[in-house]
Amino acid sequence: MYGAIIGGALSIAGGIFGASAAKKRARKAANERRRLANKLENLENNRQEIINPYEGVTDLSSMVSNPFANLSVATGAAEMRIEEADISLANTLDTIRQTGGGAGGATALAQAALQSKKGVAASIEAQEKTNEDKRAAGEANLQQQKMAEAQRLQQADVAGEQFMFSTREGREVTELDRTAALLGQAKQTEAQANKDQASAVGDMFGSLGSIAATPGLFK
Amino acid sequence: MENNNILQNLFLKQFNESNAIAYNKAFVAGDSDYNFQLLDNAYRLAGKYYAKLKIAIESNKCESEHCALELQQLKQLEEAPQASLGFLESVISELSVTEESSFDPNNDYRYAAANSVMTGKPGFSKTDGYQVYLDLLQNGSQQIVFMGPAFQPPLVINSSSLSALLDSDTSLVVSTPNIGNDMLRLLPETGLFMQEMINENKELKATAKISEEFVMKNTDGSFDYEIIDLGGGKGRNVLKFDMDKIEKKVTPFINAEVAGLMSSEQDVVAAWNVYISKDTSVMEDDQMVQNANAAGSSWLYEIDLPLSQDKKDLFSIKYRTYFMNNYLNEFTKNQIPTVKEDAAVFDLAEAKKAKAQKFLADNNLN
Repeated sequence: MYGAIIGGALSIAGGIFGASAAKKRARKAANERRRLANKLENLENNRQEIINPYEGVTDLSSMVSNPFANLSVATGAAEMRIEEADISLANTLDTIRQTGGGAGGATALAQAALQSKKGVAASIEAQEKTNEDKRAAGEANLQQQKMAEAQRLQQADVAGEQFMFSTREGREVTELDRTAALLGQAKQTEAQANKDQASAVGDMFGSLGSIAATPGLFK
Repeated sequence: MENNNILQNLFLKQFNESNAIAYNKAFVAGDSDYNFQLLDNAYRLAGKYYAKLKIAIESNKCESEHCALELQQLKQLEEAPQASLGFLESVISELSVTEESSFDPNNDYRYAAANSVMTGKPGFSKTDGYQVYLDLLQNGSQQIVFMGPAFQPPLVINSSSLSALLDSDTSLVVSTPNIGNDMLRLLPETGLFMQEMINENKELKATAKISEEFVMKNTDGSFDYEIIDLGGGKGRNVLKFDMDKIEKKVTPFINAEVAGLMSSEQDVVAAWNVYISKDTSVMEDDQMVQNANAAGSSWLYEIDLPLSQDKKDLFSIKYRTYFMNNYLNEFTKNQIPTVKEDAAVFDLAEAKKAKAQKFLADNNLN
């Protein structure tokens, strides 16, 4: 029947039908390959973003400060003590004058005043020393806390990177496996169909001689 | 016009499948001549023409300067037989799509008729008024012309046009994608099923069930059942599924499937016309009853391609609905509890009473 429709040798007609079936299979396989490639591209483009659970970890070191950095020396009390001593000495001096006291008393008073002021100076010095110690201790503590915070941030970064890497790797490997399998299958089908087509065409060309030999053709 | 095309296609399909011609006494008694002799006719004068060209070139009696035209025509003629075979292969390959069970009747019905002629179907012989010609054209291309009662106007296919179409991954006759297979393959990919529910061929096992994480539960961790009426005063529990969660889970996979289909928009139109456009069931699709899936809401290849964004979006929505209604439904409807004691059939009235009592107790209303 095919021979009558197509004309020429019967094997040519059979070959044409065989090759056309293979061609159809090849086209279907090519379509499938294209469809799968598009599908996978869409899956890859639209997959959920991998979230770094540690991304929100922020540097809190700016919130840490040295509470002893700006300690001031309480000079007010010292000044008051000096003033009190001065007033007390002035009163004593008045009393000595009224009672006819001599210069020796005044000298003693001047020494007492000096002693009192020395005491005040010593107290301020002690306070300043204590403050300096506290400031140094506070600074050491601050550095320690900043270092701890920096370490925490570093650890969070590393943990986040590790999480994202392992998640992404796991997912991509699965997807790649699937892609390779499906696309490989489609390519194989396509290649086989092309091979079938070539073989059918090969058979056909064996019969082409009969076309050439038909009356009126190529002679 | 479009409806007429569908009717013609469906008529041809029915005619070829019905075997009715075997009971037509006039046909059985008469002679059928299928001797179209496509190649013989096409090359009948080619030999003489070839000789004429050859002599003109060899004796330097060409009409064109340096025999350029003659040499070109000679080359065309030498290549013509191979081109004819390739062309016929492509034509037959394309026309054979009309025999597929899911063939979209919105394709030009003349392709179905042409296939009947090329495959020598009863009723499409020379005796029945049909004729096919293969013409070798001056420009080196070839054309096949189908004539006869079913070809009004005649169907003409040019080899270079067909070749250009096929090279650009476009079909002359669209083969409808196998949506059923695609959706069955999609099911295990959605992540709704545990790995142990999928066999080595990446298909769902017969016993496959949707993972428990998509089943509705009460705050105490027990299953939240729906009670269905079995009739006769009896009822039973069935699982309730978190459809929002399921839809969220499957949507990216459905979108990817649709994106895959969109690599060929004519495939999308065919899938729309045959399966997706109406909210039909798989069974209805299988029957392909007359124009149940094709007429009113069908898209026309000549008019609707390229697809507008609206149509692409609509296809995507309907595709999801089709998947949910026809393929996922069997895993979410009437699923018997996995807890043995909850799976038993019970008295409906008592169950309702117990449920009411529990509600009262839970809310301190007693």
